[in-house]
Amino acid sequence: MVLSSIITVKNLRFGYPKNEVLKGIDLTLHDNELVCLLGVNGAGKSTLLKCILGILKHQSGNISYGNVAQAINVGDGNTSSQSISSEDLDPMQMARYMSYVPQSVKSSFSIDVYDTIMLGRRPYIGWSISELDREIVSKTIEFLNLEDFAFRKFNQLSGGERQRVIIGKAIAQSPRVFVLDEPTSDLDLKNQIQVMKKLKILVSDENSPKAALVAIHDINMAARFADRILLMSDGEIIAGGTPRDVLTPENIQKVFGVTSDVIESQEDNRFWIHVKDEIGGELEHKHVIWEHQNNEDEG
Amino acid sequence: MNPLSEQHILKSRNQIKSIVLLGVTTFVLALIAMGQGPYEKLDIWTTAKMIFGFETPTSTEHSIIWRIRFPRILMAIVGGVALATAGALMQGCLGNPLVSPLTLGVASGAALGAAVAIMLGFSIIGGPLAIIGNAFLFALIVVFIIIQLGSTHSVSAESYILVGIAITFIAGAITSVLNYFATDEQVSQLMHWSFGSLGRVDRDTALFLTIPVVFLVPLALKWSWDLNALSVGGDEFAISTGVNPAGFRKIVLVFSALLTALVISFTGLIGFVGLAAPHMARVIVGNDFRKLIPSSAIFGAFLMLFADTLGRTLFAPIIIPVGVMLSVIGGPFFMYLLIRSKGR
Repeated sequence: MVLSSIITVKNLRFGYPKNEVLKGIDLTLHDNELVCLLGVNGAGKSTLLKCILGILKHQSGNISYGNVAQAINVGDGNTSSQSISSEDLDPMQMARYMSYVPQSVKSSFSIDVYDTIMLGRRPYIGWSISELDREIVSKTIEFLNLEDFAFRKFNQLSGGERQRVIIGKAIAQSPRVFVLDEPTSDLDLKNQIQVMKKLKILVSDENSPKAALVAIHDINMAARFADRILLMSDGEIIAGGTPRDVLTPENIQKVFGVTSDVIESQEDNRFWIHVKDEIGGELEHKHVIWEHQNNEDEG
Repeated sequence: MNPLSEQHILKSRNQIKSIVLLGVTTFVLALIAMGQGPYEKLDIWTTAKMIFGFETPTSTEHSIIWRIRFPRILMAIVGGVALATAGALMQGCLGNPLVSPLTLGVASGAALGAAVAIMLGFSIIGGPLAIIGNAFLFALIVVFIIIQLGSTHSVSAESYILVGIAITFIAGAITSVLNYFATDEQVSQLMHWSFGSLGRVDRDTALFLTIPVVFLVPLALKWSWDLNALSVGGDEFAISTGVNPAGFRKIVLVFSALLTALVISFTGLIGFVGLAAPHMARVIVGNDFRKLIPSSAIFGAFLMLFADTLGRTLFAPIIIPVGVMLSVIGGPFFMYLLIRSKGR
């Protein structure tokens, strides 16, 4: 099967004065693919996602989107197979093509969860909500099991519940590409797995091709759900490929500075990463000083 | 149909019912207000019958109703709608519940303009409209500053508020200097302008001010999606739903500031409606701007009518200006509403 690329990033650079964040990124995202982006804090994961979404304007390089015209119903038939550069899309077209779950939201006034998820339909709504919009939102709420608080205020929810609502908004947006920045950071274990599973279901549906690019910290979650993993370090992608190819003890040591083992499951084809040395020398040292001070206080 | 969709429609309908009820109440209040005045024969009942054509007024009565009372009532409604809508829009696009149409410094600019006209005798147009013309011109200068600010790169919501505060201080300082060197009569004239009042507006002006307001409300409704996105999730979240926050914020602020400038140039300072009406509306319909904007607008009209009517009747024949009355009765009511809604 030939995979069609829906996002192509070439030699992307972004930086602030005296601080280059992205140092020439190349990546391609294909249909029916869930790609996880791993890396330490400050590696440039969020910046990369924001550049792809057009929230930040990249300084050089190129981002192009394949099959945009077809996906968002613009232009004539001739352009449908060509890819379009990020500069050629207006915000509304971008929003139909890609939906985004930010790391955190800054809420000043909050509305019902139902209406918050309805914001995902905003790129499609003219003056009023259609029957279809309402149906999509209701189904999204059922899909994510948010029925219990569908008519509660968004700011009355817990952090994890809010995160699921924002994911709901992204799903209701019916995009071609999901761009998610740490979508499971506030979720409990069960919900982390559920959200990733549901994302996988959406992406794997061959009748409506979609893809997801997910920045995530949990290596084992990435190992379990990703079709491909991109390992980012200091503004560059240093490794990319299937979880088995990328998540080697050497790569993990290089990026995260911790030693680890790959453990194979006896029951199925899965594997997970057992991190052995979590606290580096510096941290242990500080820990000792802290204990020392406590002892002095007691004395 | 999906039960969730049904529930959403039901909730929406109930909110619309509340808004309609509020509108009807405001209309009744307007009729009551039309029946108030020193000419005692035109009481509430008689005036209402004449308005709806059940009774034919004499030419004097016709004049009193349509040339004296109607402009005042219309101005109360138009001014209330304009200031409250501007307040709701600005609170939404700046993501701050403390913002009112006066936050950006438009009012201070207008007050400075009035002071320049009164104390220096400088005005762009002469005659009876000198103070109003100047107030509007100086308010426009503030709007221009806002436009310039909005065109600079990556201006945040906070910058608008901070620049507004700076403008307020600067304009206030210059006004104080002018006040310091002014005669008693000039100071009292400026004070008089500053008390927001509906008595200065004639029928043509009131009708003229109605036009932009009639255009504003549907436009504001169209903006409500973007306001929802901005206020629920902030700028980045809004971008992901197709909003351009910087451009949107600039348009909304310029529009709100222009409308505020138009109204307060004629009426003088009326600040409370723009702050309080959106919060009162929130208690009834919540934060969804699709419902919040129309209900704020109606609440604005209601508050203005209520305060003005009370100001005219409480110590008649002395008329207490609507701006003063609003703060006196509106302030405590506003506090009560906030405490009650927080307690829930």
